[in-house]
Amino acid sequence: MSATLEIDALVKTFGAATALDGISFAVSAGECLAVLGPSGSGKSTVLRSIAGLDVPSSGRILVDGADVAGVAPERRGMAMVFQRPLLFPHLSVLDNVAFAATVSGQPKSEARADARQFLELVQLEGFGDRSITALSGGQEQRVALARALAARPRVLLLDEPFSALDPELRADMHSLLGQIRRQLNPTIVMVTHDRDEAAVVADRVALLSTGRLLQHDTVERLYTRPASIEVSRLMGGRIELAGEVRSGVHHSAIGAVLAPEGETWADGPGMLVVRHEAVHVSTLPVEVPPGMVGVEVVVADRRARGPRAEITLACGDGLLEAEVPASRPLAVGQSATAHIPRSACTVVPAP
Amino acid sequence: MAMLIPYGQRVTPDDPTVSSRGLMRPRPGGRTLRLTIAALLTVWFALPLVPLLLWFFADRWSAPAVLPTEWGFDGVTSALANGAVPAFGQSLALALVVAAIATPLGAMAARALTRGAVPFPRLVSGILLAPLALPAFVAVMGLTIVLLRARVPGVVGVVILLVAAALPYTVYTMRVAYAAHDLAYEDEARTLGASRWNVLWRVHLPLVAPGLARAAFLAFLVGWSDYVITVLVGGGTIVTLPLLVASFAAGVGNDAVVAVLSVSAIVPPLVLLLALGRFGRRYPTASYLHGPTASQSPKGSP
Repeated sequence: MSATLEIDALVKTFGAATALDGISFAVSAGECLAVLGPSGSGKSTVLRSIAGLDVPSSGRILVDGADVAGVAPERRGMAMVFQRPLLFPHLSVLDNVAFAATVSGQPKSEARADARQFLELVQLEGFGDRSITALSGGQEQRVALARALAARPRVLLLDEPFSALDPELRADMHSLLGQIRRQLNPTIVMVTHDRDEAAVVADRVALLSTGRLLQHDTVERLYTRPASIEVSRLMGGRIELAGEVRSGVHHSAIGAVLAPEGETWADGPGMLVVRHEAVHVSTLPVEVPPGMVGVEVVVADRRARGPRAEITLACGDGLLEAEVPASRPLAVGQSATAHIPRSACTVVPAP
Repeated sequence: MAMLIPYGQRVTPDDPTVSSRGLMRPRPGGRTLRLTIAALLTVWFALPLVPLLLWFFADRWSAPAVLPTEWGFDGVTSALANGAVPAFGQSLALALVVAAIATPLGAMAARALTRGAVPFPRLVSGILLAPLALPAFVAVMGLTIVLLRARVPGVVGVVILLVAAALPYTVYTMRVAYAAHDLAYEDEARTLGASRWNVLWRVHLPLVAPGLARAAFLAFLVGWSDYVITVLVGGGTIVTLPLLVASFAAGVGNDAVVAVLSVSAIVPPLVLLLALGRFGRRYPTASYLHGPTASQSPKGSP
């Protein structure tokens, strides 16, 4: 039931406005790709184009290598789950799940028996005879997921399916999706604006902004090896150190940083970015561990964030950010040493 | 909150009794006032029916008597002898045809207007609602001549004009229905493999069925109760109940027949109204319809 999906130079314009500006990416069979982007980045338009609900202005969409341009949505073999469950109110829970089988002409009893298996899959066995009004929000979205899976989609399309749920329910749905992936291995394209959700659910992420694809990469590389300052910022990166690469070494306010093992940085002006999670703050005089860069800093600011505290560290003109447990007594004005792993550093073109 | 409800337990909505809502709590004296008004309204609606029902069974009812002076079924026999049954049939057929044409037309117009697929939508909806503002006979006087010259058969002319008269009601009712209708249901159905035809039959029509029932009822009433258009355009080719009632009411001493005809004219709309109350309800709204919608989705940067 899983297919490969390839998007090739997809362009969508609405009048003078360009929603998608040449998006290309590929999803292999059984992979889960998260299309991540802020509001208005065009990520839902990508999904609607794949589903056939929107017609792209140009570009190709290939499912298992075959162009689906001009193929009606119902013949594309997709199934979509929206942010709202959109369960048909005139059908019972079971008949909602059996919808795809029913419209494909299967006898009702077969369709229902099939639907029962999918209700079981989403852990709602025994809910079949209920009216959809007797479900809670999380249950509704489970039924919507079961209904989409029962359609045996070649590609499962998820349009912010868990965004309207409470954090706990969302975590439940994430583990359910993980379990479904292990059991059925569907190809999934999921649209989300939540980078944590993308990190939890997806193998790879396509990061979109204002209709352009900024980076298509694994979750880890999107965090640690952003392709541009924009990617770094969209992924929540907070450390940006302007400087210059000379002979493969970046020089900035924190001093010289050598490129990670096996990587080279091109000479010229560049911005050193590193995740604040990677910065270790030490108040004791310790030797700099191998593979790390030691920077003498002064705590410039401290902000409480529940169990954690965000601190800003000043090193000359350069500012570093770090997160420490809230219990650590790092006060503003205190001197410390920041240790930055070289492997966490990336140089991106200066904006 | 939903997250606190364990799976398998039914969600019960808020206590709907008025006492739990501050604004709807009964005030002293309010109950008496409400009952009085309800009683007055009942009398106002029911009173005209009382003499009608009495006349139904009256052979003779001279002026000063409070009740009929002679009871019997002369009115019924006389009505039957004067073509009440065919008139009833023709009225029913006319009303059903008008409803059958005006409802889908109104629904299509309303859907197009609601989706914004119509150029100059305000002008178009103005034209569609115009028959409400225009007295029927004004339009009919002019149109009769046009229809006669075009050699349109009387019955066809009557149906065309009654459909036009019914359209404002069906369009308006269906616009309300489509305003509450979510096209995303149809998108969802199509991605699940439903053809356009399946989407129409299995999703679209069931979802707007209550609205369609209300629109059809109003269109039925337009056809059922029309007099002016049937007389002027039909020119006697069809004799409906209102025509029969009018011709008997114009004469003297026909009160019993008029009563019989009038009572029989009340029955079909009443039956439909009761059916509408029983079957024409909206589907119970699901809990997520009160939750965040797409347009209010939580905004956040990745």
